[in-house]
Amino acid sequence: MAGNKGAILCVDDEDAPRTLRRLILLTQGYEVFAAASGREALQMLANRHFDLVLTDHVMPSMTGTDLTRHIKSTMPRMPVIIISGVNEIPTDVSYADLFISKIEGPQALFDGIAQVLEQYRVTSETEIPDRQALNPSQ
Amino acid sequence: MSRHEQANILMVDDQPGKLLSYEAILRDLDENLIQARSAREALDVLLRQDVAVVLMDVSMPDIDGFELADMMHQHPRFQKIAIIFISAVHLTDLDRIKGYQSGAVDYISVPVVPEVLRAKVSVFAELHRKTRQLEQLNRELEQRVEERTEEIRELNSQLEQRIAELETIMQVLPVGVAVSQDPECRSITCNAALSELFGVEPGDNMVVTKDEIQGRPFEIYQQGRRLEIEALPLQMSAKTGQQLGSMELEIRRVGGDSSYLLANAIPLFREDGKVRGAVGAFFDMTRRKQLENLLRERADLLELATEAVMVRDMSGVLRYWNAGAEALYGWRREDVLGKKIDDVLHTRVQADGRGSDGVDSALAENGRWSGDLIQVTRDGIEIVVASRQALKEDGSAVLEINRDITAQLRAEDALRRTERLAAMGRVAGVIAHEINNPLESITNTFYLLRQHPSLDDEARYYAKLGEEELIRVSHITRQTLGFYRESKDPVEVSLSELLDEILEFQARRLEISHIAIDKKYLSRGAIQGFPGELKQVFLNLIGNAVQAMPDGGRLRLRVSEASCRNGRNAGFFISVTDTGSGIPPEHAKHLFEPFFTTKSNKGTGLGLWISKGIVQKYGGSIRFRSCQRPGGNATSFQVFLPHSHRNATETVPPVAQARSSQTELMGKSSGRE
Repeated sequence: MAGNKGAILCVDDEDAPRTLRRLILLTQGYEVFAAASGREALQMLANRHFDLVLTDHVMPSMTGTDLTRHIKSTMPRMPVIIISGVNEIPTDVSYADLFISKIEGPQALFDGIAQVLEQYRVTSETEIPDRQALNPSQ
Repeated sequence: MSRHEQANILMVDDQPGKLLSYEAILRDLDENLIQARSAREALDVLLRQDVAVVLMDVSMPDIDGFELADMMHQHPRFQKIAIIFISAVHLTDLDRIKGYQSGAVDYISVPVVPEVLRAKVSVFAELHRKTRQLEQLNRELEQRVEERTEEIRELNSQLEQRIAELETIMQVLPVGVAVSQDPECRSITCNAALSELFGVEPGDNMVVTKDEIQGRPFEIYQQGRRLEIEALPLQMSAKTGQQLGSMELEIRRVGGDSSYLLANAIPLFREDGKVRGAVGAFFDMTRRKQLENLLRERADLLELATEAVMVRDMSGVLRYWNAGAEALYGWRREDVLGKKIDDVLHTRVQADGRGSDGVDSALAENGRWSGDLIQVTRDGIEIVVASRQALKEDGSAVLEINRDITAQLRAEDALRRTERLAAMGRVAGVIAHEINNPLESITNTFYLLRQHPSLDDEARYYAKLGEEELIRVSHITRQTLGFYRESKDPVEVSLSELLDEILEFQARRLEISHIAIDKKYLSRGAIQGFPGELKQVFLNLIGNAVQAMPDGGRLRLRVSEASCRNGRNAGFFISVTDTGSGIPPEHAKHLFEPFFTTKSNKGTGLGLWISKGIVQKYGGSIRFRSCQRPGGNATSFQVFLPHSHRNATETVPPVAQARSSQTELMGKSSGRE
């Protein structure tokens, strides 16, 4: 089943959460690659195609938001989801397509990824999807 | 015949026979007849006795009659004594006798005709008597005149003294006095005090005429209007013949200050009842006026003061109560003056909670006291005041100045609590992050574990249980250690629908606990906000209400419009009321503090704290009221949420938010009602 639904780059500075997150995504049929820092993620993005980036927010040297900004500046059509342990949405995450709390559980994460991917799939090649429209609560 | 006073008749003759014959002739006259045999003897008698008539023989040896008469005429006492010469008719004698033109001198020629002698002597004796009587009368008259003159002199002297006294009094009198001796007041004299008051030279005529008034160094006003001459007190009194009392005059000195006088005037009348002048008295009230102004200024200042200023006498009876006191305590002046201060304010000392006896004894000892007092306003609200009190110097009263520091203390208290809350919030945020990270990993682990093909059904069941417990943990951290905002922009949320959703969610618990629902939505309650966090607020309140009624009860929900008032925005009131155990007053203060719980191990102690935080973000407020009484308790939480609030979409420092609505959050506890 792996690799059928798309390639996801999973970014987290901590090994265990990164590995576990990769593992549960694998169960959903995604091809999952892991990066231990924003810098590593940017390098990997330069080398191959990914369908979506899922990054932790609080990381040393480059935060999830910093990474998102970098990605969006060079690859505006690359979907980015930030996942965070804070319970409140930080004010500077608006570059990302979606902000998900870590405690929402696996299903919420799966749903979020599917929605973002779907949004990008239906929009035209040139158009950047409206991030607001992706918000499940609206 | 002897009804008359006997006159002395002196008969002088050197021949005893003649003397005897005269005596015989004159005996019937009933006079006192004295004989003298010579001029010398006669003089001797004259010196000793008052003699009316001297009957003398012209020709006598030694000193003859003429010589005696001459001697008598030289002596003032004897000048007026009548002399009758007895003489032979000699021409020379007659000529000499005629020479005595003045005086009572007569003669009888020899031979003596007894009738003639008797008649002449009798006439002179009578003359003498009349003269004596006249003299007597004269003397008496003179004496009387003398006596009267003395009396008058005495009276005059007294009068002069009195006038001098009056003059002195006039001059030393501190009251100005003016006197006019004519009804037109053309001439007015005044005393030193008045000269000084008017700034004129002492002794100046104070007359004021139309021409002259221009030259005066002063102008006279009454109640701000310049007075015409006729309206001046002395002039008016003289003109009308009426007494004038207590005219208030202002003397404006040219290029200088003003004096204030209180003038009285009284007319002077002649005997015929016509006015002849007037007297005026002028009291200088300048000092009094200045003092009055000063007092009025002081009084105005006291009224301006925002502090409560009070004066009480030594028995505690209120004598003064300023506007500040009216505003602070709600009692009007007329309500409290004359009452005892303790009956009005129920003063207690904050430090020891005791009555004001300690203050009184400190005042008696030191004359001063300052400190914080707890007092009760007219509305029955306890306030804390910073008080300064001082005993009046004469020990007759106590002055008290109080400043309301209730709000200040509350603000300080609130600030302390807010700071504590903010610190708690920061800690909670860190804790949330630290818990959430491993929580995700464990949740993911259980997810993988549960699906692992190597597990048998039993192991899979255990994994499922573990996963379910983890969901609870996630739920708790989400609910208590922060709030997850599901969207970045607020949307329209219907508060009534939100409440219904919660009721549906809690339906089973409500049913189990036999709780009846009483809901009244007077409005849909549509506001701009985030459904998740708003749901959390009411889930907390309803959850608490349900937990407070384990043995059943009634849960009442209300939604109503709140109009714009007192600077509050328009919005909605949402109240959640239960008939549960109630909130004891001692808990009321801590209700909104983090980690405060009455549910021991069941609750986190964060529910209300979080709810309050959310409501504050919306610019709203939460207050509660709890009644505990035998018939049944009731606890009601009322939430106010504005239609929209800009802060709901912005990140506002929590401290600033907390301050802005702190007073609303004080919560009224009426548990003792």
